[in-house]
Amino acid sequence: MAASTPRAKTFQSPNKTPTNNIYRKSYLSPSTPSHLTPQTPQTLTPLRRSARHVSRKIDLGDIDQEILNPPIEEMNLIRKRERAPRKQPTDDLQTPKKSKSKSNAEVSFSPVSPIRSEKKRKNAETSSNKRVHYTKVEFDSVEFQIGDDVYVKRKEDDDDDAELEDCRICFKSGSSDNVMLECDDCLGGFHLKCLKPPLREVPEGDWICHFCQGHTLEAPKPPEGKKVARTAREKLLSSDLWAARIEKLWRGADGVYWVRARWYLIPEETASGRQAHNLKREVYLTNDFADVEMRSVLRHCFVKSPKEFAKASNDGDDVFLCEYEYDVHWHSFKRLAELADGDCESDDHEWMKEEEEEVGDSDDEEMEVEDEGSVRDSKSKRGLATSKAANSLNGRFFGLDKVGAKRIPEHVRCHKQSELEKAKATLLLATRPKSLPCRNKEMEEITAFIKGSISDDQCLGRCMYIHGVPGTGKTVSVLSVMKNLKAEVEAGSVSPYCFVEINGLKLASPEKIYTVIYEALSGHRVGWKKALHSLNERFSEGKRIGKEEEKPCILLIDELDLLVTRNQSVLYNILDWPTKPNSKLIVLGIANTMDLPEKLLPRISSRMGIQRLCFGPYNHNQLQEIISTRLKGIDAFEKQAIEFASRKVAAISGDARRALEICRRAAEVADYRLKNDTYAKNQLVVMSDVEAAIQEMFQAPHIQVMKSVSKLSKIYLTAMVHELYKTGMAETTFDRVATTVSSLCGTNGEAFPGWDVLLKVGCELGECRIILCEPGERHKLQKLQLNFPSDDVAFALKDNKELPWLGNYL
Amino acid sequence: MSHDTISTPKKLKSRQRIAVSNLRTPDKEVKQDSHENLAVDSLSDCLGSESRGGTKAPSTIVCREDEHRRVFEFVKGCLDQQKAGSLYICGCPGTGKSLSIEKVVKQVGDWSKQACLPPVDTLSVNCTSLIYSARYILEIVEPVKEDNCYSSPLHHLQSLFSQKQDSSSRMMLIIADEMDFLITKDRGVLHDLFMLTIFPFSTCILIGVANAIDLADRFLPKLKSLNCKPMVITFPAYSKDQILRILQERLMVLPYVAFQSNALELCARKVAAASGDMRKALSVCRSAIEILEIDIRGSPGPESQGPTPDNPVVRMDHMAAALSKTFKSPVVDTIQTLPQHQQIIICSAAKAFRGSKKDATIGELNKLYLEICKSRVISPAGITEFTNMCMVLNDQGILKFDQARGNKLKRVCLRVDESDITFALQGVRFFRNCLL
Repeated sequence: MAASTPRAKTFQSPNKTPTNNIYRKSYLSPSTPSHLTPQTPQTLTPLRRSARHVSRKIDLGDIDQEILNPPIEEMNLIRKRERAPRKQPTDDLQTPKKSKSKSNAEVSFSPVSPIRSEKKRKNAETSSNKRVHYTKVEFDSVEFQIGDDVYVKRKEDDDDDAELEDCRICFKSGSSDNVMLECDDCLGGFHLKCLKPPLREVPEGDWICHFCQGHTLEAPKPPEGKKVARTAREKLLSSDLWAARIEKLWRGADGVYWVRARWYLIPEETASGRQAHNLKREVYLTNDFADVEMRSVLRHCFVKSPKEFAKASNDGDDVFLCEYEYDVHWHSFKRLAELADGDCESDDHEWMKEEEEEVGDSDDEEMEVEDEGSVRDSKSKRGLATSKAANSLNGRFFGLDKVGAKRIPEHVRCHKQSELEKAKATLLLATRPKSLPCRNKEMEEITAFIKGSISDDQCLGRCMYIHGVPGTGKTVSVLSVMKNLKAEVEAGSVSPYCFVEINGLKLASPEKIYTVIYEALSGHRVGWKKALHSLNERFSEGKRIGKEEEKPCILLIDELDLLVTRNQSVLYNILDWPTKPNSKLIVLGIANTMDLPEKLLPRISSRMGIQRLCFGPYNHNQLQEIISTRLKGIDAFEKQAIEFASRKVAAISGDARRALEICRRAAEVADYRLKNDTYAKNQLVVMSDVEAAIQEMFQAPHIQVMKSVSKLSKIYLTAMVHELYKTGMAETTFDRVATTVSSLCGTNGEAFPGWDVLLKVGCELGECRIILCEPGERHKLQKLQLNFPSDDVAFALKDNKELPWLGNYL
Repeated sequence: MSHDTISTPKKLKSRQRIAVSNLRTPDKEVKQDSHENLAVDSLSDCLGSESRGGTKAPSTIVCREDEHRRVFEFVKGCLDQQKAGSLYICGCPGTGKSLSIEKVVKQVGDWSKQACLPPVDTLSVNCTSLIYSARYILEIVEPVKEDNCYSSPLHHLQSLFSQKQDSSSRMMLIIADEMDFLITKDRGVLHDLFMLTIFPFSTCILIGVANAIDLADRFLPKLKSLNCKPMVITFPAYSKDQILRILQERLMVLPYVAFQSNALELCARKVAAASGDMRKALSVCRSAIEILEIDIRGSPGPESQGPTPDNPVVRMDHMAAALSKTFKSPVVDTIQTLPQHQQIIICSAAKAFRGSKKDATIGELNKLYLEICKSRVISPAGITEFTNMCMVLNDQGILKFDQARGNKLKRVCLRVDESDITFALQGVRFFRNCLL
């Protein structure tokens, strides 16, 4: 393989080497070239890239010694991080001499890059599925090996990035006698001479530029016409580039070189965003892999562990720090194990051998994967197929690779929805309605309350208690008010505020609310005691937390009644804060109970004020309107059907959730009915469907259970009902029930099963909670009670085909 | 000491508290001030000045001169004689206890400066924000602690107060607001606290504030035998004249009249009769202004033709509306807006508890409910649905459950008066016969 490497190319780069490469930043220090490394046949095509790397003194054919020194010694770009010639950072990961020429021919698995998976698949199909794996590849006269960290282009048409960073003041990259200094805050480069006052030497310790210190407020604008070229590091940190670690290298059958990249993320790209503790150059190693073509690999960068990073203050611009691994699926962080650097050489050898052994058996899987044709699939399959190989990487493989999950094919997900299906979707409780009918008055009141409280410059704390039965739109009204207010804030008509939403049910203990509030205000998570202390200072003494601005805070507490502790101090504190002059706190409490303030201590209800808002249960007109607004534009329901459903619900609970659920269920019933009966002319949900849904929902499951219990249980229940009816008491004993059973069996020609069996039957019914047994006792004097009205039992057992005589006793 | 690191911030806090402790003073003005937000047009500036009046008003405590003087005399006496003492202040919520105490603290500070006495260490704590009751002692001891050689801060304090000290030791004024939060099972904390004042060389003046009149008698019987029972000062609920005076005092700063005097008197009478809670009186006034404001906003045309176009005044009707909003029991309204089946349940409950019977199980209630449904030819809801409805009624405070294992065995009793139910449902023809 290596022999086929075109050699001619190696002379190309020196030709283009600019004369002033001495001013070059040190990160361009040549990597150790190796004469025998396989080169890609494509090396000549991407001219742009080779131009970029011209400065490297590479591949002069005969070089085995390291040419680290000559020009770079004179490097005058000394950053504060002392960017100096960099050693090969990944030395420990490679097998230095042996692996060079040894390229293992073997079958590899679907190389699918996220960028051009299409093309790749085609390649794989046409080719003979032969892959050649390498541990080291020379591509474009740069040597890449497994374990190296590289920049990867994000877009194809990425413009050339600057090799050298420009000075932030003079906007020139460098001059022979000018040393560049890096600011520790903004990472910008400055010539020592351009600084005011100019510095002669690189200062000791941290140095921060004037712009960051705030001496000069505006950084100078670049001169007209000159485009500010960004370095790769800047691009990466503004997420225009990717960084990745090379996990695998191979050459496809068509000669295209591929890299399996394990991505690095910058803190901004993680779910939690950049945190205060993140360093400027911090990146996270992810568990996300992708196969990319070698062409999109830009060049080396160097990601280091904190220990190495501390030492590598002299290593140029492309140094990054990676301390944590980031799980892209669960958004969690994990400290990288120290042994990560210890993937020692011996492991590598084993790994290669294993790979060779595997050649045969992974072939079939490969083909299958190609058929599946999904990027993720192939990845997961590969994870399974090469589990041995993965194990050799200290067992570190993650996510979908491990689970082997499949993606649902696109065509299944996007078929055309019928009207009924659309209706079902809009009636789902999870679907947030566009507007909230029937709650205009309440919403107006809330809006007026909040606006009145925050719009004033003094912004005094107030408190409002919202109560109402479940499913009457309390929370959703408040949230939509907040949404409208947010829009107004953006429009500028309302002063900004911060909004904290807390659900009492989600708190592990009532005291945790302090932690949650504090975290929402400051971004730090502390224990509740400390949080309470700081909050007390913030609200009653007007001391700001951290850098927080002076803006009002709206606290929405859902399920307020769950915060009632034994001595009610949590509620007292929360409701006491708004009464302090400097608090700027507005508390909105939501709960079901109407009389919560009366249940509380008088000193708390005295602080709660008299602002109450009641959300009454919906009446049938309102429910009807709610359903119709949701279904606007979808012709799926008969008008009477909606009215029927809403009337039914309004009579019992007035719960909008219930009404929506009934309608959705009715739509499902109708859907099922219409699918069986294709000739139905009317594609609407009719009354009977709603009736069926209501039956399902309101008819309790106990009837179903009683209908389906065993024959003996039915006799037992009948005997019990009969016995209770005869005696007129609420409870009876097992003794008497058994006697009745035996007499019933005798008169109707059934065999009496025996007492122990009956006792067992009784216990089983007790477990189902159809009857209530006296706890802990199982003998003949055990007391029994029916858990449901005897009418229900009678209704369930009356029309029984098997035992028609039961009806006589009910 | 292990607590040392934890409690250092406390120390800081307590000192700063002294400086900022007067922030609670304008407790009332908070509410008064918020008029400003809602007021429109001409009303706004009138109310603006009203709120400014609010900031001034607490500088002279109206209607609490006597209590205030007694507290001050007590503290002054203690300081004069350099001896410890304890005082317990009780009264209903909203009667100006905390406000008066803060005034006293300020006044004591001024006075001791004038009298060239050493400044007093003041420590005011709201006991609700304490994390453990036991931490209370810790917090107190921090300002005076010099070394860590004692096993606990309490011991430290006790030994400190039982030995003769150099004359330079300062007096310490401890104010514990909402003191009843310190009540533990064995009453140890409260007891130790009061015991601090009876040590021979104690320099600590303790002022406890709480709602209960007999807190000291009930929880500290031992103190009585030791003859160190705290002096008790009671803040009675405001009478109607006092409320009226306070309201007038606050409104006096206004250049013109915002309230009709009748309206104010109505408010004062109603609040005094109900609770004597000043906070309530102020919030009623505020909501009266809100009602007036809605009036003005709702009818700009007729308002301009009205007799007092440029100076809207809160009249009796506004005040009455605000009062009814505050004091009216919401039971009747609630019952009227309930779904029909829930009304039937209430109806059957009222019937069930008409006699001497006080409670019934859900099963019994369900039977009655089914009876009514049958007689009216309505299809009844199932038993699970019935239980759910009872839960909702329990949430609304109309029914009350006790804790029992099985759903069916739960005992239910009615929490609203039967006459309320009859009154609420009399308009509905459906129920007229049910309740007879």
